Amino acid sequence: MAAAGWRVKRGRKALAAVVLWVLGRGLVASARLDKRVRFEVSSWPDPYTVSFLIAPWGPRVSWRRKSSTLTCLGSVKVDSDLLVTFKSVDVALPALLGAKGILDAFAEHRLTVRGDLKVGMSLIRCLHIVEGYLFPDFVTRRILPRPAGRKRSHLVAYGALIHTEALIVAKAEPTEETAA
Amino acid sequence: MIPAYYEFQNSTKILSGSHAIEHIGYELAALGVSRPLVLTNRQLLDLKIATMVLDALEDTEASVATIYDNVPVDSSVAVANEVARVYRETAADAIIAVGGGSVLDTAKGATIVLAHRANSLLEHQGAESLLGRRSVAFIAIPTTAGTGSEVTSAAVIKDTDRHAKVSFQSLSLLPDVAILDPRLLVKKPPRLTAATAMDALTHAIESVSCRQANPLSDCYARAAIDLIREYTPITVDRPDDTSARLALANAALMAGVAFSNALVGIVHAMGHAAGGMSGVAHGEAMALLLPHGMAYNLDAVGDRYAAILPSLAGIDAYAATPQAERGQAAIDAVKALLGMLNERTGLPLTLGAAGVTPDEIPEIAAVALDDASMSMNIKQPTYEELVTILEGAL
Repeated sequence: MAAAGWRVKRGRKALAAVVLWVLGRGLVASARLDKRVRFEVSSWPDPYTVSFLIAPWGPRVSWRRKSSTLTCLGSVKVDSDLLVTFKSVDVALPALLGAKGILDAFAEHRLTVRGDLKVGMSLIRCLHIVEGYLFPDFVTRRILPRPAGRKRSHLVAYGALIHTEALIVAKAEPTEETAA
Repeated sequence: MIPAYYEFQNSTKILSGSHAIEHIGYELAALGVSRPLVLTNRQLLDLKIATMVLDALEDTEASVATIYDNVPVDSSVAVANEVARVYRETAADAIIAVGGGSVLDTAKGATIVLAHRANSLLEHQGAESLLGRRSVAFIAIPTTAGTGSEVTSAAVIKDTDRHAKVSFQSLSLLPDVAILDPRLLVKKPPRLTAATAMDALTHAIESVSCRQANPLSDCYARAAIDLIREYTPITVDRPDDTSARLALANAALMAGVAFSNALVGIVHAMGHAAGGMSGVAHGEAMALLLPHGMAYNLDAVGDRYAAILPSLAGIDAYAATPQAERGQAAIDAVKALLGMLNERTGLPLTLGAAGVTPDEIPEIAAVALDDASMSMNIKQPTYEELVTILEGAL
């Protein structure tokens, strides 16, 4: 993506804000539809707040796990226990739009992580599942480590984006599904 | 192949060889330091190794603020916090860390606490999230060859409350100066020498196969593997050979530069877990798990393994091996080296021989899956795949 003037930058930030909104709802939707996500989120400390931020000032999206509920907090500014920061909107968009995997973005130093990296690993596994619901197969084949393994259709997942909360279950032993 | 994007930094000044430690006065002056805190452990003082550094410091314009010699073998967040407290109380203006990976990583932890005016090191867990210049001058003087911590941007420190190793990764952790002086390199038992050399070899090989591998880190990795192949047998057989020990220390340093910029993967993830859950010594865990991790990654990075075959087995072996078999030949070369070290030193070849029991495998696999090193592995294993790999190593 070429270096851009402020108008283009502003446009990219607006696009990133929309994508982060979808991602925020997408994690909640996936938690409602897929027990692999519920298992991962239930392993996070309680309470725990996770945020994605595009440096330096946003846009951003946050989630809070509290007790048995995962809530999408949207773009409000909150203190985060785990903060994933993309270094600029230009390097964030390829990862957010499915042109690049989140692990490849991390490997290319496109983002920083502040907080417990153990939870960070769990979040990455969640995002892989979420991307499986949000992106078509020809995209996920390229960016995910293995097939998406959707439990419900794309259509159902997009319908579930209306929700901002999901119930999660207590932590259980890992299974084939949770480790995927 | 050139990656689409990569970053590389090794800003640490390296002093290696004869009378290197006698340059410390100049280096302190260059850094504008006058009251360094010397961080080490009791054993190194008793062995008169840390004392050599103190003697060298006597002949400088700097005066030692204090000597902190309570760093345990397996250091912790609490020790790093304590070192930071002592640093403040004694109005020190630099840290000189003399010791193995535990001492060096403790120093890195203390610099984080000091630079960010933190109450606890745990406030700054993460990857590349530490911003701003480090406010503490930092000289690293390794006394063992293995971790390469003197040139890495990473620190692994135990959180005793959670019984877990906590990772810190930031370019601000790179020491200002690293000093390799053959007189300070501790003469170790052959098995420990073998384990630490295999730790360095694992750093080099994993750096080549990881997601962040890049042309510069590859150069350091290959140079490290060349030295490890040549000097590990010599150092094991002749522990008094100081030039061989210095060569291995240089290999560990180069492997450190490589993995500091390319990171490590599945072998470290499983090794960290085996160490945390079953107490397997880090170097031994690396040694026995390395061929298993390489075998798992072979279909994805066989060409990269093939590229290091000349360093692992020599150019003749490379030339004699058909192209399609060179990746596997690299794994076989690692196994041959391990077999030789097992014969000569008793280095364990299996997790079982290292004390791991079958019922511990599921938990080791679960912990390994959550290890940050796993994120940089070229392939992302499932929990079941990890169990299979670990059972294969049992």
